[in-house]
Order: sequence, then structure tokens, then C-alpha cells
Amino acid sequence: MLKLSNLKLSKEWILVVVLAVLFIFMSIFAPGFTDSYNLTNMLFQIPELGILSLGMMAVIITAGIDLSITYLAALIGVIIATCLTSGMPIGLSIIIGVITALAGGLINGFFVAYIGVSPILVTLGTMTFFKGVVTLITKGNSISGFPEVYGAIGNNAILGIPLPLILFGAVALIAWYLLNKTVWGRNVYMTGNNPIATMFSGINTKRVLIYVYLFSALMAAVAAIIMTSRYNSAKVDLGSSYLMQSLAVAVLGGANISGGYGKVIGIVLATAIFQVLSSGLNLIGISSMIINILIGVVLLSVLMINFFSSKWESVGKQKTI
Amino acid sequence: MRKKIVPILGTALLSLGLLAGCGAGKDKEATATNSEDGIKIAVVPKLVGIPYFNASEEGVKKAGKDLGVDVIYTGPTQADAAQQVKVIEDLIAKKVDVIAVAPNDPAALTPVLKKAKAQGIKILDWDTKADESVVDLSVQQIDNEEYGRHMADLLVKAMGKEKGNVAVVTGGLSANNLNTWIDWSMKQIKDKYPNIKIIGEKIGTDEKQQVAYQKTLDLLKANPDLDGILAYSTVAPLGSAQAIQEKKLQDKVSLIGVALPTDSKPFLEDGSLDTATLWNPINLGYLTVAAAKALAEGKTIKDGQDIPNIGKVEVDGKTIILGPPSDFTKENAGDFNF
Repeated sequence: MLKLSNLKLSKEWILVVVLAVLFIFMSIFAPGFTDSYNLTNMLFQIPELGILSLGMMAVIITAGIDLSITYLAALIGVIIATCLTSGMPIGLSIIIGVITALAGGLINGFFVAYIGVSPILVTLGTMTFFKGVVTLITKGNSISGFPEVYGAIGNNAILGIPLPLILFGAVALIAWYLLNKTVWGRNVYMTGNNPIATMFSGINTKRVLIYVYLFSALMAAVAAIIMTSRYNSAKVDLGSSYLMQSLAVAVLGGANISGGYGKVIGIVLATAIFQVLSSGLNLIGISSMIINILIGVVLLSVLMINFFSSKWESVGKQKTI
Repeated sequence: MRKKIVPILGTALLSLGLLAGCGAGKDKEATATNSEDGIKIAVVPKLVGIPYFNASEEGVKKAGKDLGVDVIYTGPTQADAAQQVKVIEDLIAKKVDVIAVAPNDPAALTPVLKKAKAQGIKILDWDTKADESVVDLSVQQIDNEEYGRHMADLLVKAMGKEKGNVAVVTGGLSANNLNTWIDWSMKQIKDKYPNIKIIGEKIGTDEKQQVAYQKTLDLLKANPDLDGILAYSTVAPLGSAQAIQEKKLQDKVSLIGVALPTDSKPFLEDGSLDTATLWNPINLGYLTVAAAKALAEGKTIKDGQDIPNIGKVEVDGKTIILGPPSDFTKENAGDFNF
């Protein structure tokens, strides 16, 4: 008991507790939840949302928001799909997709950093823009019929570990390294906390912001590769439901919407919580409309817990002073 | 010490809330399920929570009761293929016997449907066709060609002349079945009414009435010489009708749309919508379950066979067709409950 009270309940530990409770609950009440089929299933479903949420989190740390992330992913997916179906090799197609991503990220970053338009407006604009470009390219139809090897990225597993999950793990590690171990990472958090003070301390905040949007665009690219491969198709609204979900995951994962805070591990945990909730509730047989309500309730509850725990913490600190 | 209590308490409360929610759901399912070893049929719409798919849910539930099979009606809350794939993956984990799906993007479902097949699950498509190589049976509401051509004929009838300017409003630019109907309507106009001019490209409205309303207002403003609109998807005609009503162009602009009678009744009454045409979505849901049950039991449905509560159906190879379209006008719109 003494030890438990010493355990500092940070945002991330709260997420661990919530995840564990939900997992145990679903194991008991959702039929077939612990079947190996369902567990593998969930591991295949986690990466797309998790990777997009990482991109979203990086932008949120700088007090921004990236509404264009899913449609940029759709654009990248369609570009890759077009390359693949016209007979280009897989490697080249992916490289062209990544170049598209960088261009998209550059547009977002340029308008936010150099023109100084607020991120929500810029990305709302680019969201519509990307969506328009995709619709123009595809005429609204889906592009499909990729080489079989390409499908392996999204559908195969190595030693029982799904390939997308390995990609997610790698991407999360890289994101963790970039945000925590590099100068750029530290600058990202500082810019989010106080952009003006950061600028006056001699840091090129504009460049920091550009790289943040490039980072989120690259996340969109990885997610796009996984999605197109997993679904063997690319289309304008593929993954569009991930926009609000990735925002929700980022916030649930502890990212502070007014900037300055957000951890990779929080995103990983929050994505897992979403997955356990949606798969578990589906297995129990609850209508997806109610699942949305429950996910909303979880989100609000965790936000409330975070709010009160940080409030108590600051009260506690004042007392000790 | 005190500061630690709040988060712990909060977590506990949160879990309790969830428990309560799940408990309720479980009870409901227990009553709907009558036998453990009965046939389990899952019907997946493009999305849940729109009038059209609510009506087909009614038919699915009714058929489940009448035919003594367990039915699950679940789908994504947005018309997103990625979300629909997840729903199907969860259904495979649930070990259902048949999955009947109305695909948002047929190609995107092929891998997951193959996976389901490998688990011994029978695959059906309904409403919209999936990849033909993976489905065992296909339930279609209508003959697409007949329906598309029928809409063009209806519009000409409503305009009262075989010439004029016509615009096309659609739910989603990427919706497969809508595009097929549009193509057939265009072909009918080209073949039979060469003096009708199609203005601009088809206008997408994101399956939202508000967007359809807005875009139709723009369309009316930009084209004062417009004679008719063809509106595809069950919400687009309502938005277009709203715009025509507001601009009081009921007599000038004819509107033909794919819509449910109850939704379109107010617009049919004042003439802003001339004719709504559709099939009976309740019957479509019912037929889907009936076909799924036959499939699970290894029976086949024959051409012209009389399905109880539905009537005679057409069968063409692997495809079962519900029947010819029903037209809803101001005279008969009140007779339907969907």
C-alpha cells in the first residue's frame, strides 16, 4: 500500500491502468476477445491509426492541429496506387509517394511558419485542396490491382508479428528519438510552450515548425503505404474516419492542445485503448453508434482525470512551498 | 496522499461506467439470440444511422425473427472503407456463418473477404456489388441498367419536353452504384433524347443534405436556364428539393431523385421534387437474410421463386434481383412507412 501511494500517477500511468482495466474487462465479457485470431486482428488494426496519431501529436505539441493529415494520406495513397498500376517498381512508387508527402508537408509548414496563418485554417484549406486533387485524379473511383508483393506490407506477419505493427514500432521509436534526444525535439516542445520566448532565445522557430509539418506528412505517408497495401485499393475517402480519431487519440494520449506537452508512449497507449474498446465492444455486439458514445465518454473522463490530477498536483506543490 | 485519490477514483468510475454500458448491451443481445447453434448471419451496411439503412435494418431484423436465424446488423458510422474492413474483421472473430456486405469500396474489401472465406464464412453482397470472385451470392435491389434508364425517362416525363438543360447531383463522387446509374442515365439521354444537354460535371455532395442544398443553390444561380436535375443517393434529392423550394422554382425546374417516400413527402407535395424512385429497402434487407439463410443451408433460390413476404424474385446466375423500381409521387408517398 505504501508503495502504491508512492507510485506517481502521471498521465501515462493513468493510461496504463485504463488499458489494463479495459483489457481484463473485455477478456471476461467479450466472447472470443482473447482468441489468437482476434488478438492478431487487433494488432493489424492498431498501426494505421497509431501512426497518423503520432503525426497529429507532433503538430499539437507546437499548439497546432493538422486537419489535412488523412486527406494527405489519401493523396499519397492514390499517387502510389497510380504509379503501381502503371507498372512502376514498388520502390520507386513509394519514393514518389514520399516526395508527394514532403511537398504536402512543405505547403502546410510554409503557410503556418512563414505566412503566419493559424494552423487550423491552413490545414482546413489544404485538406480541401488535397481532397480536390485526389478526386480530380481518380474521378472519385478507386484505384486497385497492385502487385501481390505490395500487399505483403499490410497483410503479412514475421514470426507472428504483423508487419504493419513492426513499422509502427519502428516509427514510434524514431519519433521518440527525434522528440526526446535531438535538439530539434527540444525546440519543438519549447516552441509549443512559448514561441516568442523560444524565438528570442535564438532558435529559428520557423524551421522547427516546417520540420514538424514535414514529420506529420511523413507519418501520413507511412500510414498511406500500410492502408493501400492492406486494402489493395486507394480512394479519396480511404481512412477519412481516422481524422477525428487521430485527434482524439492524441488528446487521450496526453498531448496538450495548447502546446508544449505530448509523449510518444502516451499515443501508443491511447491507440491501444481505442483498439481494445472498439474491438471488444464490437465483439459484445454493441451498435457502432453506441460505441462512438462510449469512446466519447472515455475521452471526456480521461481529460477530466488529467485536469483534476494536474490541479491537485499544483495545489500540492504550492503547499510544500 | 490526497492528490493520488482523484486519479484512482476517476479511473474506477470510468471503468464502472463502461461496465454499465456493456452490461446493458449484453442483455439486449441475449434476448435477440434464441439458439446458440443456430445460423448466425451478419449484415453490414455502408454506414449506420441514415434513413435508408435504418429501413433495411428493419427488414433484416424482421427476417431474422420470421426465419429463426440470429442476425447481427452492424456497420461503420462513416462511409469509410477502412472502418468497414475493421467491422468485418471483428465479425470474423465473432465466428458468424454468413457475412452480407454493402461495400463502400469493393476493391478495398477483397482482402478481408478472402480472409473470411478462408475461415469458412459464406460471403454475400447486397445493395452494392463486391468483387465478384469472392462472393458466393449477390443480392441486388434493381437492375442497374433498367434503373438508370428509368430515371432519365422520368425526368423527361416531368419536364414535359425532350430538350433542355439538365444537371446531375450525386451523393458521393466515388460511390460505385451511384456512378453506374448515372452512366446508364447518361446513356439513355444520349440514345433517346439527343436534344437534352448535360451541364457541367456531376456534382458531389458528400452524402449530406446540407451540402446538396448549398450546391443546388449555386447551381440554380449559375444556370438560370436549367430545366431539370437528376439527383442520386437518398439524401441529395432532399437538399436539391429544399433549394428549389426556397427559390420557388417548382414549375420551372424538374427534379427526379433516388429517395425514400417518407423523407421526400413534403417536397413531393409542393412539386419541388417531381418523382422519387427507389426500391423497398425493408424488403431488400429481408431478402438479404433469406438469401443468406438459403446459402448457409446449401439451398439455391431459383428464378421466379416466390419468397414469403417479398414476392417473386429474378435470379441471374449468382445474382438475385429484388424487382423493378417503385416510383413515389405525391399521390402514393403517404402509403409507405420507410
